[in-house]
Amino acid sequence: MSSTLTTKRGLAVAAALMSASLLLTACGGDGDGAADTAAADTGGEKSAGTRSVKAANGTVEIPAAPRRIVTIGNTGLPFIDLGGKPVGVTEVSDSDLAVLPKEQKAAYEAAEVVGGSGGDVDLEKLAALEPDLILVQFHSNDWDKVGKRLESIAPTVLWGLDTEWKAFAGEIATAGNVTDELGRQKAEFEKKVAAIKETYGKTIGDTTFVDVSRGDWSDPGTFYIADIGCSEIARDDIGLDLPEAAEGKDPLAYESLPFERITGLSKYDVITYPVDAEGRPTEPFVPVTETSTWKALPTVTSGRALGVFCPGNNSYGPVLQYLDSLDGALATLAGKP
Amino acid sequence: MPRPRRRVLGLVLALVVLTALLTLSVMIGSTAIAPSVVWHALFDPSAHPDQFAIRDFRLPRTIVGLVVGAVLGLSGALIQALVRNPLADPGVLGVHAGSSFAVTVAVGVLGVREARGYMWFAFAGALVVTLLVLALGSTRKGSSPVVMVLAGVCVGAVLGGAREAIQLTDPDAFDAMRYWNAGSITGRPLDVLWPVLPFFAVAAVLAFAVSGPLNALALGDELARAQGVRLARTRVIAVLALTLLAGGATAIAGPVGFIGLMVPHVARWIAGPDQRWIFAYSVLLAPSLLLVSDILGRVVMRPGEIPVGIVTAFVGAPVLVVLVRRRKASGL
Repeated sequence: MSSTLTTKRGLAVAAALMSASLLLTACGGDGDGAADTAAADTGGEKSAGTRSVKAANGTVEIPAAPRRIVTIGNTGLPFIDLGGKPVGVTEVSDSDLAVLPKEQKAAYEAAEVVGGSGGDVDLEKLAALEPDLILVQFHSNDWDKVGKRLESIAPTVLWGLDTEWKAFAGEIATAGNVTDELGRQKAEFEKKVAAIKETYGKTIGDTTFVDVSRGDWSDPGTFYIADIGCSEIARDDIGLDLPEAAEGKDPLAYESLPFERITGLSKYDVITYPVDAEGRPTEPFVPVTETSTWKALPTVTSGRALGVFCPGNNSYGPVLQYLDSLDGALATLAGKP
Repeated sequence: MPRPRRRVLGLVLALVVLTALLTLSVMIGSTAIAPSVVWHALFDPSAHPDQFAIRDFRLPRTIVGLVVGAVLGLSGALIQALVRNPLADPGVLGVHAGSSFAVTVAVGVLGVREARGYMWFAFAGALVVTLLVLALGSTRKGSSPVVMVLAGVCVGAVLGGAREAIQLTDPDAFDAMRYWNAGSITGRPLDVLWPVLPFFAVAAVLAFAVSGPLNALALGDELARAQGVRLARTRVIAVLALTLLAGGATAIAGPVGFIGLMVPHVARWIAGPDQRWIFAYSVLLAPSLLLVSDILGRVVMRPGEIPVGIVTAFVGAPVLVVLVRRRKASGL
């Protein structure tokens, strides 16, 4: 009995606190003073009206020029890459932060962290930031958990995890009102792709490639063939002949292969593998390069195993860095049989 | 056939089966490599990548499987004799829980990611928890097997909860431990074996040294005492050997279940109740079971693999049901 009463009292107090916080949010939404002084300028003028955007959670009415944007899940770094300055973000991994350009890292660090990368968002902290727009990309289970509550705090735009990266970047730019930078990045991307295709057209046409990788989540003694992420860009935009899962099947990258399968890589002309910004094999991939089997592969001994830097594949900035690295890697093939 | 002759013959047969499985383990894998390449890799080495695959991966994996299997079998036989419970295995004394908890702390709190790094934590965790269980299981009249098992189960449950809590708050730790928790000998270089091997050797000597007193202990404490067996000393030595064996095996391969449970029963069916023979059979039969399970795990889901701990669970679960339903589960 007493425990039931305690629980009820606890719920009542929690509900009261939540209501108060939501009330404060609603009252402070268009305020001035301290809140607006801290408000990040995302490039637009102060909100003068609203517009509709289509999202995975339906058609959402958002401010025409949002000023206080919170990014949740995978939307943070792409928004920052487009020049956005969110007031709130969710955590990103140390490895992602390490390869971020200086000014983007500063924009990330200036924002308030409102939770982990999934659905464990601190809603009170988020509400206290008085956002006028929330951008979200995470698993649908996380949306089921917190989606409605996010929508009660501010207009919320959701993307599914399967959204194609160019569409994703474009829609984030539109929602966050940072389309000028998107246009510049897009033009640079198209120029780089065209240049690579033109420079290495013959190599691309005559060579079979395989992109291999290993993550820090990979089981000991296993690696995988990457057919999503940066290798998807190499295949679909550049035209590299890379292995791909059959239609309707899971990506090859989801299949952990035991190290003895390294021998099977010898059937490809060129192997690409992940390296860091300094060109060293990434830490999780080092166990592969340390095996005698890898060292004995004809592709490796003949210098046709190429390290490629892929800082990310969700927005144009990191993809442009990837293309630069791929360009450099392909250049080393010149003159090799 | 007289029992002594049958025992020796059975032991020779077990050795032949084990040798055949060792050969198969080197020959069969997730990639098809011709037997001639395997032969050359072992006896006429060159720098061919396929030969490296044999020498780098299959051979170490087979040796690790041989040692881990033998150790798990011996530790299973030891604990069943010690606690006089035919359904006991090293996990009952909290060995697996202690190892898993220590590895979780190493991975989640200290950021250790490689098997070579956290195996010592697994070993230390097993040792500390077993000593704790031994202390909790000691009554004023001495150590009681029943109280010891209860203490092991309780400590295991508490540590299991703590481990879950850490893993839930740190998904990276959970990811890094996923494979180890399933029980696997994939990707274990021989480097992980050498440091633990001396402990295994000492533990095996200790185990065989107390096999005689454990025979007497099977008759009950009073009769054993009447035969001059020093109960406390026997139990402490057995627990020490058990910890070194099960802790070391868990450190290398993760918690591989059922091997330590099933094999001593088979050994008992063949060799009778003499612990010396049961121990000897377990040392030969357990690696055979582990290697068969590992080979199955390599081929049933090509090109991927199933960890050996999952295969032994599939094989072991029905056997456990049979054991539980038998009126005298191969009577101890």
